Amino acid sequence: MFMEYAWLIPFLPLMGFVIVGFFGNRFREGGGYLAVGFAIAAFALAALTSYEYLTSDLYAVSAPFVTDVQWLAFGSYELNFGIYIDSLTCVMMLFSSFISTMIFVYSIGYMHGEGKKKRRYYAEISLFLSGMLGLILASNYLEMFIFWEIMGVCSYLLIGFWSFKHPDGDEASIKAASAAKKAFLVTRLGDVCFMTGLFVLLWSFGNLDFTTLFDPAVILTTDSTMILIGSLLLFGGVIGKSAQFPLQDWLPDAMAGPTTVSALIHAATMVKAGVYLVARSYPLFIQHADVMLIVAIIGGVTAFIAASMAMNNMNLKRVLAYSTISQLGYMIMALGAGGYVIAIEGAVHVNVLACVGFTAGVFHMINHAFFKALLFMCAGSVIHSAGTEDMRKLGGLHKKMKVTSITMLIGSLSIAGFPLLSGFWSKDLILEATMEPSTLGLPAGTIFLILFALGAITAFMTAFYMFRMWFMTFAGPPGEATEHSHGESPRTMTTPLIILSVFAIASGFLIFFGLADILTFNVIDRGAGLEYIFGHCGHTGAHILESIVNNVWTYVTLALGLFGIFLAYLMYCRRTIDPGRFNSDGESPIYKFLTARYFFPQLYNQIALKLGYGVAKGVEYVDRNLIDGTVDGIANAVVGGSGAMRKMQTGYVRNYAAYVVVGVIVLIALLVFLVKWGGV
Amino acid sequence: MIPIEFFLILSAALFCVGIAGVLTKTNGIVILMCIELMLNAANINFIAFASFLNDALGQMFVLMTISVAAAEVGVGIAILLHAYKSKKTTDVDDLTVMRW
Repeated sequence: MFMEYAWLIPFLPLMGFVIVGFFGNRFREGGGYLAVGFAIAAFALAALTSYEYLTSDLYAVSAPFVTDVQWLAFGSYELNFGIYIDSLTCVMMLFSSFISTMIFVYSIGYMHGEGKKKRRYYAEISLFLSGMLGLILASNYLEMFIFWEIMGVCSYLLIGFWSFKHPDGDEASIKAASAAKKAFLVTRLGDVCFMTGLFVLLWSFGNLDFTTLFDPAVILTTDSTMILIGSLLLFGGVIGKSAQFPLQDWLPDAMAGPTTVSALIHAATMVKAGVYLVARSYPLFIQHADVMLIVAIIGGVTAFIAASMAMNNMNLKRVLAYSTISQLGYMIMALGAGGYVIAIEGAVHVNVLACVGFTAGVFHMINHAFFKALLFMCAGSVIHSAGTEDMRKLGGLHKKMKVTSITMLIGSLSIAGFPLLSGFWSKDLILEATMEPSTLGLPAGTIFLILFALGAITAFMTAFYMFRMWFMTFAGPPGEATEHSHGESPRTMTTPLIILSVFAIASGFLIFFGLADILTFNVIDRGAGLEYIFGHCGHTGAHILESIVNNVWTYVTLALGLFGIFLAYLMYCRRTIDPGRFNSDGESPIYKFLTARYFFPQLYNQIALKLGYGVAKGVEYVDRNLIDGTVDGIANAVVGGSGAMRKMQTGYVRNYAAYVVVGVIVLIALLVFLVKWGGV
Repeated sequence: MIPIEFFLILSAALFCVGIAGVLTKTNGIVILMCIELMLNAANINFIAFASFLNDALGQMFVLMTISVAAAEVGVGIAILLHAYKSKKTTDVDDLTVMRW
């Protein structure tokens, strides 16, 4: 009974957007409580819907619940609008609305001093949540794309929230404006790919409904090359939205927005949409092993380079931003590796091992949402209290902000993969999934071995930079900003921190209580004919625990992570090792290379300048000469013609009379001619 | 019975006199009179053919033409009167403001 009304889940925050947007200032806190209320309502409805689906007969046979209405039809194409609920949808909408609720509550404390602009803030974050929930519940790619774009707009608006008047002055507001622009334009590049992919899919399937596109019978009769092109283009959208290599550079800049917005973008919405798209499109992506190989490689490379850039950054929020990119890379890599196994091995392994990748990717997405929301909100709390993001000015904050410090420690331990915390389980599953293709001796086994190595090094770097951040902020001698910090943040801010830290510790255990079994997906194995798998992964918690504990590499990555923490402790807390020794005091080329973000911003600028400017010049030439020439030519001909003709208007009556007489004579002559010789 | 050709020749001659007057004269009143001449030349044609073909329709047309011509002259004279009031002339060569 709730599933029929699932469309209300995105609709409730949308209502919040309208009400807060128009009347926010008539309520307390610029409508903040209202936004929280709608988010809670959405979460409650999502929970009820999920409960109903997971106990329904549909779930028992792994079938999705779908209702839709026809939106428009043209020719043989048909576009619908509706909802699609399966276990992935349930999991996604639950964590997304829950974390958003937490962030909204936190915002009431964090944005307290913003005055009248709070109305805009709460309206926009409500729309953001609505976009994410709509995307999750969408029943076809076009609907998904619409909400995808709504999120793009919201991220633009929120990243540039302080573009009018930044608390840190004019320069910061210019930066905010350009960061918003960058986020919008860079993700737009991916969006164009996504849209082109939709055209390809619509052209070859005649429809964009998930039920049609994922139907094995339909997939088998569709041109395989078109599916290949379509999936690659869809993945282009993922690269833009989830900030994957080589479009990763917008995310660190997006830190110009309020910290709560960063938490929202990084944990609950926006960047998760890309990962969700890969997970959702599994049945299509799985058709070509090469697609999955590309997905995995992009993910692995992203994870590595983003983590390396986080190692020497001095900005509290930017370190977290890079860690998000890196963790997103992990998720994409796991999805790719798992998909690769299925694509090659088909049904043979699917029920046993292969969907570890799928499970690991989605599982890490959930865990990451909890600990990253926690970390960002802790960072926000620090910034709120100390007024700076520069870690060199922080330090020794532990004594002043006990709750923030401890919750952030939990978040850092979780992301670093400390045993038994949530990050540990999912990260280990991811690395195991990446290892899988080479263990099975598949064609690209070597590549996956390299990806595994990158992943393991990333695990070390993650542990290192997270604890570097924690030690630099909370331990050691007090920095100049610590001296005049306001102390602990208000209760509306610390309560969500405590709740989320509980999840950061415990959400990993979900995998042992049925999460692995909940996630279902349908795949079709092209190689083996019409062999069609549509069902549960068949994992049990014990099964996963066994494979984690028995794997030697688990202990290797664990040791690497602990070593990273220890190294950070020595360098930034005990200070027995001088960090300057490794980078010639910030003079070594690698250090500069990392600080310059692998020169990606320059690369973007060069491409934009050379390519964009060149294209613009060509377009300008065509516009000025060809189009303007034609238009002006016609106009000039008319003007010139009329200039010549108007000389006829002499004003002398007899001239006009003469024209008439001459005309009549000519007509008569013509008539006579025609009658006499023309035979009329 | 006078042959029809005589009427036609008379009417053609009258018409040519009218055209010549319209094209050469500069006095607005004279031009109006020349236009009347041309109209009457046409009227003579109508009457001649009505008699020649034994058809009364031609005579009806002439009555029609005379009444229309009367109205037309009324309008023409009124325009000329106004032109004279503002320009103190009826010479059409001086009334050339409506030009490029």
